[in-house]
Amino acid sequence: MHNLTQEDLARAIGVNRQTILAIEKEKYIPSLDLAFKISRYFGVNIEEVFIFDERTPTIASG
Amino acid sequence: MKKNSFFLIFGCIALALLVIFWYSVELHIPLLIEIAFIIGIVSVYLAKRKVTDSIEDERDVKITEQATIRTMQVFWVVFCAFSIGAVMQVLHIPTFPREPLGSRPPDLLGPRMMGYIQLGLLCLMIFLYVGFRIYYAKKYGDFETDEE
Repeated sequence: MHNLTQEDLARAIGVNRQTILAIEKEKYIPSLDLAFKISRYFGVNIEEVFIFDERTPTIASG
Repeated sequence: MKKNSFFLIFGCIALALLVIFWYSVELHIPLLIEIAFIIGIVSVYLAKRKVTDSIEDERDVKITEQATIRTMQVFWVVFCAFSIGAVMQVLHIPTFPREPLGSRPPDLLGPRMMGYIQLGLLCLMIFLYVGFRIYYAKKYGDFETDEE
């Protein structure tokens, strides 16, 4: 999206690039605070980025 | 401060502690290494706070937290097992017939043996922590790489 790199996003929301990569790979479920930061960065609702699954919360694809 | 500068300072402190350790062994002054160790660790923490090019985010905190909890869960069991053994020796009740007065007291864990046991426990704690840290780092995607 807009040539945005993981490094840029990580720097913008104050985390490590590895954390962004771990979230993308569904290895790490972010806290509500971080999830809001990510969705606000993209200017969308949190449900458009993350999907809550009662068994294993996952991240929206696409 | 850059991360590499921190590691340089950390190495210097570790080296200084090693020198002080042998110096205190030579002089038979354990207090010297004890005080130096506390000062060294406080200095490392202070130096770590000055590092600017490394962010400790919530995932790092979670990895540290999980590794610490698991380490403590295993460690306290081992520690208590050793401690119970030591207490049993301290509470040694002589069996009948009683030993005559002036005879050799029961074998207790001497200070040297206690030192070795403590050293072993310390090593165990370090190995457990490093092991659990690697495990949780892997679990939370520390070794993931980009496919692009």
